[in-house]
Amino acid sequence: MSRAAAGSVAVHQFVPTLNPHDATGTHTLRLRDALRRAGWRSEIFAEAIHDDLAGEAFKHWMYPEHAARGDVAIYQFTTSSPLAAYLSEHRLPLIIAFHNFTGPEHFAGWEPLNVARASRAAEELALLAPQAELGLADSAFNEQELRRAGCRRTVVVPVLADYGRVLGPPDVRVAAELARARATGGADILFVGRVVPSKAQHELVKALWAYRRLYDPRARLHLVGGTSSHEYSKALLGFVRDLGLMGAVRMAGEVSDASLAAHYGAADVYLSLSAHEGFGVPLVEAMVAGVPVVTRAAGAVGDTVGQAGLVLEATDPSYVAAALHRVCTDSTLRAVLRVAGRLRAASLSGDAAAEQLVDAVAGVVGWP
Amino acid sequence: MSETETTLPEDPQAYVAQVMAEIAEEVRLRRASGDLPPKLERELDELFLAHSPVAGRGGDLADALRRVDASTFIDPVVPVESERAAGAFVKKGMRSALLWYVGWVTHQMSQSASAVSRALHIVDDRLTELQRQVDAQRVPPAGVVELPGQYGAEAWWVEPAVAATAKVPGRVLHAACGDGWLVRRIEAAGADAYGVDPRAHLVETAALGALDLRAEGVTEHLRAVAPAGLGAVVLSGVTEGMAGGERGQLLDAIGTRLAPGGTLVVHSATREAWEAADAPPETDLAPGRPLRPEAWCRLLGELGYAAEAQRGPAGTDYLVVAVRAALSTAGTPAAR
Repeated sequence: MSRAAAGSVAVHQFVPTLNPHDATGTHTLRLRDALRRAGWRSEIFAEAIHDDLAGEAFKHWMYPEHAARGDVAIYQFTTSSPLAAYLSEHRLPLIIAFHNFTGPEHFAGWEPLNVARASRAAEELALLAPQAELGLADSAFNEQELRRAGCRRTVVVPVLADYGRVLGPPDVRVAAELARARATGGADILFVGRVVPSKAQHELVKALWAYRRLYDPRARLHLVGGTSSHEYSKALLGFVRDLGLMGAVRMAGEVSDASLAAHYGAADVYLSLSAHEGFGVPLVEAMVAGVPVVTRAAGAVGDTVGQAGLVLEATDPSYVAAALHRVCTDSTLRAVLRVAGRLRAASLSGDAAAEQLVDAVAGVVGWP
Repeated sequence: MSETETTLPEDPQAYVAQVMAEIAEEVRLRRASGDLPPKLERELDELFLAHSPVAGRGGDLADALRRVDASTFIDPVVPVESERAAGAFVKKGMRSALLWYVGWVTHQMSQSASAVSRALHIVDDRLTELQRQVDAQRVPPAGVVELPGQYGAEAWWVEPAVAATAKVPGRVLHAACGDGWLVRRIEAAGADAYGVDPRAHLVETAALGALDLRAEGVTEHLRAVAPAGLGAVVLSGVTEGMAGGERGQLLDAIGTRLAPGGTLVVHSATREAWEAADAPPETDLAPGRPLRPEAWCRLLGELGYAAEAQRGPAGTDYLVVAVRAALSTAGTPAAR
């Protein structure tokens, strides 16, 4: 990283937390590279930086050392953060890259701290959106929220994700363990996402219970993802235990890329019944991996999946179970969804998305 | 689940649309066969809610206050156990060094929480007293009262009621549905119907079959239905014993849940039949008395319905069919 050369235009990014394995972290790093390739100076400033990325970003309070006249800020808006007030006070020309955040209503009754945090995020969006020169949304759903918050100019551009990680070499040990389970028969249903109320893993458990009762008594549900709601995780475990599904619901927790690839490789169907999704990177990962997608039409899911999955209007267990059964037994349907999924994923990934983002930024600040 | 080479259909999207329709049909057939009764699906929800910290525990204020009291004290003495040998020693040192500061902060927080808790207890006491006073003046809700000979598939009013709900813009709700005899009849005529009835013993026996029947009161149920979510509401054995306030609440709820162009069908015993010597004792105990059909037509007309009444051949009951106008004033207190 180099110190800013006085007088030259820079497009810097600000992000609450820079993590190596999450969608926002990957997006931020890839956008930084795309901006540099286009000729701008570009650094990342974060409130918190993961140790593995210590050389890739600066703490946000170090920005004044790098500041130069004409700087433009892109704020990766994912949650409540002191960065919102910081950017509002500094009055830099601002572009909001809005990835959405889980609304307080989804935490109500579960995690009081998250309710407060989500409420603050809504206030921060209302503060920054009217000040922004441009809002970058990764779905039409998010674009509408930006507009509602007061952003005057918006554009929908796909998130820059590393979908290829699901096609990498799978973790041999995990793959063997999953293969042993498959050998006993029954479908493998996969969901990837944090264990939080808005992801509605309990709806997945209900669907599994109905699917096993009506169609496939040996089916398994794999829940991949760490938790950020202790109360919800506890309730989910109790629910699984009450339904006698301890052996059928496998909670893998947070996993490596290789383990994730093994899970996608072993899945018969990817099922999401989330109540809220700002984009849904795992939906695209499933499509990249050739796993048919069954999902609930909630938040941005419809925009992300398009016509490449079975998008359900209801989450009644019997309805979801019937959809799972059809996907697992109809080879024509599986082929249709796999082909459509790969086409859809291709349209959301690759260099085209980076170029769209760079074009959108240039439309506001001019080319370097 | 392995796949071989599969030929894609000519129009993949049309195929997916066809699959979605077939899934919906599969669900309908499964439900009709009783493989997974709606009641069982609702029990799944309740089972999960029982594990949630707040949502599943209902509105028991005393229980909530006990939990507030239990969490009021904030302990400044943090645990010092550690898996590492020196960890506990370091933590203990930090705790000793910081205890005065942390204790000062937590003491204030505990005091603040205690003050809030005390205020909540005062509110609880006053609410309890208020509840006692309200209970003393409470008008009991009318139960379902069915006079003999007026119900069943052979009753004179069933055909006109079924005809009135045949082409409505949404689901048809029957209250009080009993074992679902009219729901079955309306479904046979091609409409999508379900029923509610507070008499759980009748509903739960019937719900083991294919019908969507729910053990709850009609007004309580309507409050949970989405606005304009129903095509028709059929009331039988429900309104006769209602006092004016309860009837007003029911009509308010129907007014907002019925879609424009929807239909309200009211079957009622006449006042003469209600007060006859052979009427069941529930009629004496009910807080209200049946309206005359003219009164229903007048009331529903004021609420924006076009209502017509038909009298039964024996003079013991009547039927009112009211169609809600597209732009209705239904539900406004002033109109009632």
